[in-house]
Amino acid sequence: MDYNFQFNVVWRNFDALLSGAWLTLQLGVFAFSAGCLIGLVGAACLSFAPRPLRWLVQAFVIFITNTPALIQIYFLYFGLPEFGIRWSNEACVLIGLTLNAGAYLTMILRAGFLSVRANEMEAGETMGLSLPQRIRYIVVPHIAKSIYPALANFFIVILVMGTSVGAVIGVDELTGQAINLSTVNYRWLEYFTVAALMYVVLTFIASIGLALLGRWAFRVKARIF
Amino acid sequence: MPHLAVNAIHAKYGKLPVLHGIDFAVDRGEVVSLVGPSGSGKSTVLRALVGLTPVTAGSIEVDGTCIDYAAPRAVRAARDRMAIVFQQYNLFQNMTVLRNVTLAPTKVKGRARAEVEEEAMRLLKLVGMDHKATAYPDELSGGQQQRVAIARALALKPEILLLDEVTSALDPELVNEVLDAIRSLAAEGMTMLLVSHEMAFVREVSSKVIFMDAGQVVETGDPAAIFDAPSSERARDFFGKVLR
Repeated sequence: MDYNFQFNVVWRNFDALLSGAWLTLQLGVFAFSAGCLIGLVGAACLSFAPRPLRWLVQAFVIFITNTPALIQIYFLYFGLPEFGIRWSNEACVLIGLTLNAGAYLTMILRAGFLSVRANEMEAGETMGLSLPQRIRYIVVPHIAKSIYPALANFFIVILVMGTSVGAVIGVDELTGQAINLSTVNYRWLEYFTVAALMYVVLTFIASIGLALLGRWAFRVKARIF
Repeated sequence: MPHLAVNAIHAKYGKLPVLHGIDFAVDRGEVVSLVGPSGSGKSTVLRALVGLTPVTAGSIEVDGTCIDYAAPRAVRAARDRMAIVFQQYNLFQNMTVLRNVTLAPTKVKGRARAEVEEEAMRLLKLVGMDHKATAYPDELSGGQQQRVAIARALALKPEILLLDEVTSALDPELVNEVLDAIRSLAAEGMTMLLVSHEMAFVREVSSKVIFMDAGQVVETGDPAAIFDAPSSERARDFFGKVLR
């Protein structure tokens, strides 16, 4: 291979990559957190709500999980302006990713709802806890503990695969920044090598953070390495 | 007036009718036991009382007031007065022993946490579990979990305590520690309705024994009469098999 790697151009613009990584982390954390709330409501509806509401949630999940995130974000960015709704490219990515995460998390969290021991729910009911209280004190901690690995895994998926879709509509997250910079001096290979390594570092930090959070908050016996 | 009166109740479990007109009454401070073969509907009676299994006909009265199980407020009021302890303990696995006991008093009754915790520790001491207040249920034996479940039920300050085969899931060696806790409650004058297969214990603590079979009350009487000289054929057959 005759390629002559020249990383100094990358280091000169490293600040831009760093700011991209920061935006990636912000997008990932926000989309995941908001997605968890949507997912929690969705899973609660699938488990306890009357039929029409359940159908509505099911339709939402089917629609989102069976279409690519890229197309959903395209609709938000290029489609909505036709109806007079104009959001910035960052807002479109954020909202698109949040809805996307919400649909997937509805299904992930539903598995958690299904695995709650019915007798704990009955005990809570006879003790006078309302349904929202039972969800808050019995279901959520149980879900957090029992499907924590699946949740943590999905966070990484959002963080890496989800956010990078933003590059296509000009959001300057890590992938976007790498594309921007490399179109200036054509050092694609260098920029993308460094960007890839930065993703690895990002997910590594996120994994450790999630494992510590899980141990501290939910008594999950998560291994860090 | 009886503390608890059950008048000709019918109930279904899904589509299967399991209770066909159950009648009995429990006086204040009395310990009444439901005995009979598995599937006779004993547990369903307790579940119906706390509104877990719907009653399709008949009525249930507490202190002479009929409870309308169709009205959520009435069900809440009924659960306020009756607490149930389950065969499988049903402790909240994600909470410490202390939190299991304090959850409902703080979140349902809205009482101050410090006050509730103090009382919870007293109740845990009563059942001999105060030294495990910070443990999680999965760190306890079955007998210990069941004693915590009893403390948790008592924290609701029930007038009537319902005990559903509370020793059936326990190792034989652990049965006595739970029975001791119930004995001391009986001595304090708590109104109790218990479903049990511990015949010697039933005989010792009960003032009245109700023998059920196939969703009906077959025979009611004081323990000595019903165990030693059952009048019905079915009861004679049952006790002949279990009291040996």
